Amino acid sequence: MTTPSLAGVHPRPRGRETSLLALAAAALVVGWLSLATTQAGHLSAGDPSLLVIYLVAAAAIHVLFVMTGRRTDQVLFPAVVLLGGISLLFMARLPPSLVTQDAGPAGVLTLAPLQLVWLVLSLSVIGTLAVVVRNDTWLRNYKYTWAAAGVTLLLLVFLFGVEVNGVRLTLRIGPLAGQPSELLKIILVVFLAGYLAENRALLAGTSLRVGPLDLPPLAYLLPMLAMWGIALAVVVVQRDLGAALLFFAVFLGLLYVATQRTSFVALGLLLAAVGSVFLYAVEPTVQVRVAIWLDPFAQALGSGFQIVRGLYAFGRGGLLGTGLGAGLPSPDGTLAVPALQTDYVFAGLAEELGAAGAIALIGLYLVIAERGLHIAARGADDFRAILAAGLTLVLVLQAALIMAGDLKLVPLTGVTLPFVAYGGSSLLGSGICVGLLLALSDAGVEAPAPPPALTRGERWRARGRSAAGRLERAVR
Amino acid sequence: MSAFEVLVWTLRLAFLGLLYLFLAVLARGLLRDLRAATSQTVRAAGALLVMAAPAGTPAVGATMELETISTIGRDADNVVVVDDPFASTHHARLTFRGRVWYLEDLGSTNGTLLNGRPVQGAVPVGFGDEVAVGQTRFRLEPASGT
Repeated sequence: MTTPSLAGVHPRPRGRETSLLALAAAALVVGWLSLATTQAGHLSAGDPSLLVIYLVAAAAIHVLFVMTGRRTDQVLFPAVVLLGGISLLFMARLPPSLVTQDAGPAGVLTLAPLQLVWLVLSLSVIGTLAVVVRNDTWLRNYKYTWAAAGVTLLLLVFLFGVEVNGVRLTLRIGPLAGQPSELLKIILVVFLAGYLAENRALLAGTSLRVGPLDLPPLAYLLPMLAMWGIALAVVVVQRDLGAALLFFAVFLGLLYVATQRTSFVALGLLLAAVGSVFLYAVEPTVQVRVAIWLDPFAQALGSGFQIVRGLYAFGRGGLLGTGLGAGLPSPDGTLAVPALQTDYVFAGLAEELGAAGAIALIGLYLVIAERGLHIAARGADDFRAILAAGLTLVLVLQAALIMAGDLKLVPLTGVTLPFVAYGGSSLLGSGICVGLLLALSDAGVEAPAPPPALTRGERWRARGRSAAGRLERAVR
Repeated sequence: MSAFEVLVWTLRLAFLGLLYLFLAVLARGLLRDLRAATSQTVRAAGALLVMAAPAGTPAVGATMELETISTIGRDADNVVVVDDPFASTHHARLTFRGRVWYLEDLGSTNGTLLNGRPVQGAVPVGFGDEVAVGQTRFRLEPASGT
């Protein structure tokens, strides 16, 4: 039996997390059986090594949480594990040759093993941040440094970014390729939390009256205009509509959280409307996006192809879906919907799990939203509260944007579905968000238990001691 | 329906069922959390300890529990009533906003002091800070009940 050597670290049971994780694991095992049986044509578990490795990793991080005994949220981690597991099931079901990467000594990894590697890394990031981060001064005190780092990252992408599918958001450093906008989102939230927490009273209290309008003071409009400019630049230079929309939406959301002033939001929406019209006028990409959103069937074999096929996938799914592994994209054939593993993962899941599965997925994101805002509401101070709200907004708005885009509720924007879509940058970025949320949710040190009541004998002895003390002092 | 089809359907429905079971267990827990959070009575966590009162009321050493919005003054409708000729009828106001107490002067004749400095606008007050109204001095303390 080894006792932890660090002072103040005591194991603490996390019953709720344990039972939720067990339930998630049971669901994933049944899902895996369903997939393997459908594919094999008889009851089979296929090759369960991927799922086993994933569940063992999740269990190991749970044990780490228990051993380190921090009083963090017990719901977020199981929800994330279930989302990641669904992702793993779906990637295992797609054609493995969709994505391949030479991993050196490990040989060539295909889609599902690659996703497993990123999922495990993402869970490890959550575990590390949730255990290690006890102090937020490094985030709080260097907000302008973080902002500078963010802008540098953005400039690097502007200058050296590589275009993939007409979108310039991939940065290549040697053999590594990543999408810095995933990291940028978090840096933006950290900066905004620092800035808004510091200027909250000023922003909420003062105003500039122009006739009937109650405008925020001019000096504090500048950050809003800067954000607006950055969002526009991201669209124009990177052609990344999704990231721009997300940045601006998170910014407005946080501004409202910090000040509770609807005039800011109204002004921001006005700016967004002006920006949209401007972009629509100058950017052909935006025009195409809007056109295929309004009527994808006009270009059913051209630019609207993806949306049309996506809608068909939702239709094929119906209420209960075709079953995992029984959807149109056969494991060895071509994809029914382009980008099924990334942008259209929601459509693919809705085809195989039906409306029931899709609604369950939305439910999981709602759980993350509820927990995140709960953590924000209980935040010990303004910075922590705004930071938690921002991290939650990043995750949830992103999920909402892409799910609504797949459903043709809003124009399609290329953001990823957190923890479900294929992709390392996205998984790591989402992992950082959840890890920080967990660290922020720490309820702190428990108040020490009240001292046990004295027994009759002890009471007499205590009285005797105090009498002796009084005598002592009187003599002196 | 063949035995295999029954098996596949069973597995598919079991998977969806377990997803919803997970959500249901979560929802029950979250609702319990919310109920617990709302049932906790909202009370302001603060009290004023009387440090000095030349006029005699309130008594030095007395603690006065504060409400979320507490006015201090000579009038009887104040939360904290001071019998002090140098205090105005409605002299100052302490408000608990979110997590912090704020002090503001209500246009009193002699002003309100926070740690010896005149208060202008709403200023945050920490526990242990000294609030002076007329000749009466208070110290802000955490409420005894919490």
